[in-house]
Amino acid sequence: MDDAANTGISEPLDLVKLSLGERVFIKLRGDRTVTGLLHAYDAHMNVVLSQVEETIHIVDVTEDGNPLPPRIEKRNLEMLFVRGDGVILISPTQQ
Amino acid sequence: MSGFFGFDTSLPERGGQRGGGGQQQFSGFQASNVDETFALGGAGEEEDLAVYTWGEGGMGGGGLLEGGDELNDETFGDDLGEISNNFQFSSQPAPASTAKGKIASTQSRYKPKPVSDPFAFSEDDFYSSRPTKKTTTAKAPSRPKPPTAQSGSVENLWNKPAVSSPAWGTAPSSMTKPTPPPSASYPSQPPPGHIKSLEEIEAEMAQMAIPSTSAAAPTQQKVLSLEEIEKQMVEQIEPPRQATPQQPAPPREATPTQVPGLAGSGYASQQALLDSMFPELGKGPSSALGGSTPAFPPGPRQEGQPQPPHPPQPSPEELARMEELHKRITSKIQSMAKYNNLMGSSDKDFITRIQLSQLATADPYTSDFYAQVFSALKRRRMIAEGQGDGPTVVQVGAGMGLGVGGPVGNRFGKMGQNTMTKLSTQVKKLVENRAQHQKVTNTAALQGALGRVTRGNAAAPRPVLAIPTSNKPENRPASQLNQQTGIHRAALTKKQVMFALEELYDAILELEQMRREAPPPTAMEEIEIWHAKCQAKVDIIWRRLMVMEPLDISNPHPFISLINPIKGQKLFPRLLRHLPHTQSITLLSLLIATYTQLDVVSRAPPPPVADASLLTKADRLDRAKREAETDNFLQFVIPGVDMIINRCGLGLVAGMLAISAQRSEVWRVAATRPGVALYTALLSKAQSLIRSPTPDPMNPQPNQQVDPAELEQWSKTFTYFLHVLLPHLNDLFPSSVAQKAAFGPGAYLIGGDAVSDREGQEMERREAEVWGFVAVLAVNAAEEDQTNLVAALREKILHTVQSSRHPNVSPARAEMKLRNVNMFLNGLGLDASMIE
Repeated sequence: MDDAANTGISEPLDLVKLSLGERVFIKLRGDRTVTGLLHAYDAHMNVVLSQVEETIHIVDVTEDGNPLPPRIEKRNLEMLFVRGDGVILISPTQQ
Repeated sequence: MSGFFGFDTSLPERGGQRGGGGQQQFSGFQASNVDETFALGGAGEEEDLAVYTWGEGGMGGGGLLEGGDELNDETFGDDLGEISNNFQFSSQPAPASTAKGKIASTQSRYKPKPVSDPFAFSEDDFYSSRPTKKTTTAKAPSRPKPPTAQSGSVENLWNKPAVSSPAWGTAPSSMTKPTPPPSASYPSQPPPGHIKSLEEIEAEMAQMAIPSTSAAAPTQQKVLSLEEIEKQMVEQIEPPRQATPQQPAPPREATPTQVPGLAGSGYASQQALLDSMFPELGKGPSSALGGSTPAFPPGPRQEGQPQPPHPPQPSPEELARMEELHKRITSKIQSMAKYNNLMGSSDKDFITRIQLSQLATADPYTSDFYAQVFSALKRRRMIAEGQGDGPTVVQVGAGMGLGVGGPVGNRFGKMGQNTMTKLSTQVKKLVENRAQHQKVTNTAALQGALGRVTRGNAAAPRPVLAIPTSNKPENRPASQLNQQTGIHRAALTKKQVMFALEELYDAILELEQMRREAPPPTAMEEIEIWHAKCQAKVDIIWRRLMVMEPLDISNPHPFISLINPIKGQKLFPRLLRHLPHTQSITLLSLLIATYTQLDVVSRAPPPPVADASLLTKADRLDRAKREAETDNFLQFVIPGVDMIINRCGLGLVAGMLAISAQRSEVWRVAATRPGVALYTALLSKAQSLIRSPTPDPMNPQPNQQVDPAELEQWSKTFTYFLHVLLPHLNDLFPSSVAQKAAFGPGAYLIGGDAVSDREGQEMERREAEVWGFVAVLAVNAAEEDQTNLVAALREKILHTVQSSRHPNVSPARAEMKLRNVNMFLNGLGLDASMIE
């Protein structure tokens, strides 16, 4: 049955299509991740999300160059446009 | 045309009175002529053949060419013969100083109009670069005799390729070389000396195959000889003749530079293009001149400008005009030439591809959806204002449209309208063209199949535009298994569900688009076709919904799987709009029969807890998700369900209730919000059918009288339903459930003061749903059942009424509580105020 479903999928982005309207997890360059409801995407992986939670992983460095333990900063956004060149991966959230 | 370059530099210096530009122009445009003549005069025909033919093509005048040929042959022969002679001469005279002066004199002598004479200019060049050349040229003309006496030697010269080719180029050098055999006689002194010298020269030339350019000294010697030659020439030859032979020399110089320039630079090609664009410019002067002096094609042309006698020349204004034009064109070309080759053809191809793919689309409506909707709105307004309308979607071929629609061309302003029409016709042409080609070779599907994307080749260029061919066989996960009935299989995977949903969305969008494109009501045939198409689409959707799969084929049923995700729920109302009544009834039956399989029922959100901090994060998320799903279900699916139920007769409603009672534990379903909503809808519809048999004033016929059999069936079903439900009636209320589920300190908090007023009101709202349900139950119930009902709910009623009078309960919430209770009691003819 999986085959049956797969035959309709001809390119990678077809898989992203399956997540339309669903919550997705997106990993971004710059140590960021976002999760949100996928509204739209395009061939460049530009993405429009709503109910977004953005997570930024920050490693602060002391003056003498020693890294402090990483900390996480979060913020919530109503609606977000993510430019595709920053996208590393898109995956459906596990729930 | 690179002759241009050669001339260019010197011309300005020359300070042409007439304007260097004019000459430039001529040289530029007539380069073909010049080349050809030069080629002929300069060297063996074989060698310069390429240039020659090219020039010929440009000229288009065969006659001119031939005439020139003959002449050149003569002169050429002379030259060769002369070379030997010259060499002799040069050897003889020693005084260099005089030579220089003489040269100056010769110039002045030969050219009364020296400044403007193009050859003079070339001479200058020669002086600056290598003086010898000048002398040779001068000598060459002086000798008309050689043909007779030295014909044999000349032929020899011709036959020897080595000699022939260097003839012009090496001429100076040959003259320098001769110095060793100084014995040669004066140039003016004819035959005997000539012959000897020639032979010697031949020998020398053979040796000189790799000649070294002469030093300054030898040239001077030659100069001397020149002087003498001049004298002879004055005696023997007419001035015009001399002038003509001279010409070859300068152009010859120019040609070598020309050729490489032509081949190498993009500029040259542009010049060629320019020539092709304005052939008359190039031809005009030459033809005019050619008529006058066909014998000396090069001469007249170039000398023509400066020399009034030589005549049929374009008037100064004309020249000026052409010059002006040429200047403009040239400057334009040059300014553009900066950007030559900045973009490769593949780049251009790439951009064309992108542009086209956006312009031509198989689905113009959806690819520009928002613009289309906007334009639809705008058009409505425009029509209201009395303005005309046009099609929103520009069709550019079968199944292809222009991807850029817009509100009647206004999208790009006033100018946009024209541009858009132009654009659309162009794209249309392209698409048609492409479609024709694609019929022939349709291997596009295999493109890149082996992992290598070809760029295409000359034979099979990569298409700029790929027209989609949609003949992909449709597949559905469920149907193939349906062939063996009674089989039980695994539920659809999440991926399959999502995939099926996307397919459904696509189909629905297409169908909606089709409906929008309804033909005008007058065209009967079209309407029928259109109906058939829509129906076909609906059938496809119906199959994709998988409603007709056997009930027990999987758990959850495929259709339920589809409607579980929010995405599927949102699809539901859009689906119903298109389904015919019978199909929607079927769908509802299936939905009710498998109601328990719904996520929102089987995994209904758990009762609220007093203290959310007791929950883990995952728990909280899960709850939120379930709540969201339930809300969505109530928002999107239930209205549809209501709608279908409202179209049912009592028999059907009874049947549905029976199905639900048979296939599920009613009280469990009723404990969920979707369940409550469903039953409320069913029961209230039944009641309205029973109480007022003609609910539809527009259509009073069908339900005039409720069929007694149906009525009986209904009451039976309902009684059974109620009795199943009665023992669990209290558990339907969310507050009771919450109370029950609470433990520890939470139990005291639930329903107490600690609960915020907002949450409390939310709770009352949920309670209202259930109160509404029990009210419908009460209305439908027979008398004795009503008593049972009240008995079962007695405690709940009392508690609610009392808590509404509790001082800690906010007035708003108290009022809600009372209203809830009254909803039920009023149905029985009672009121909360009657309770102590």
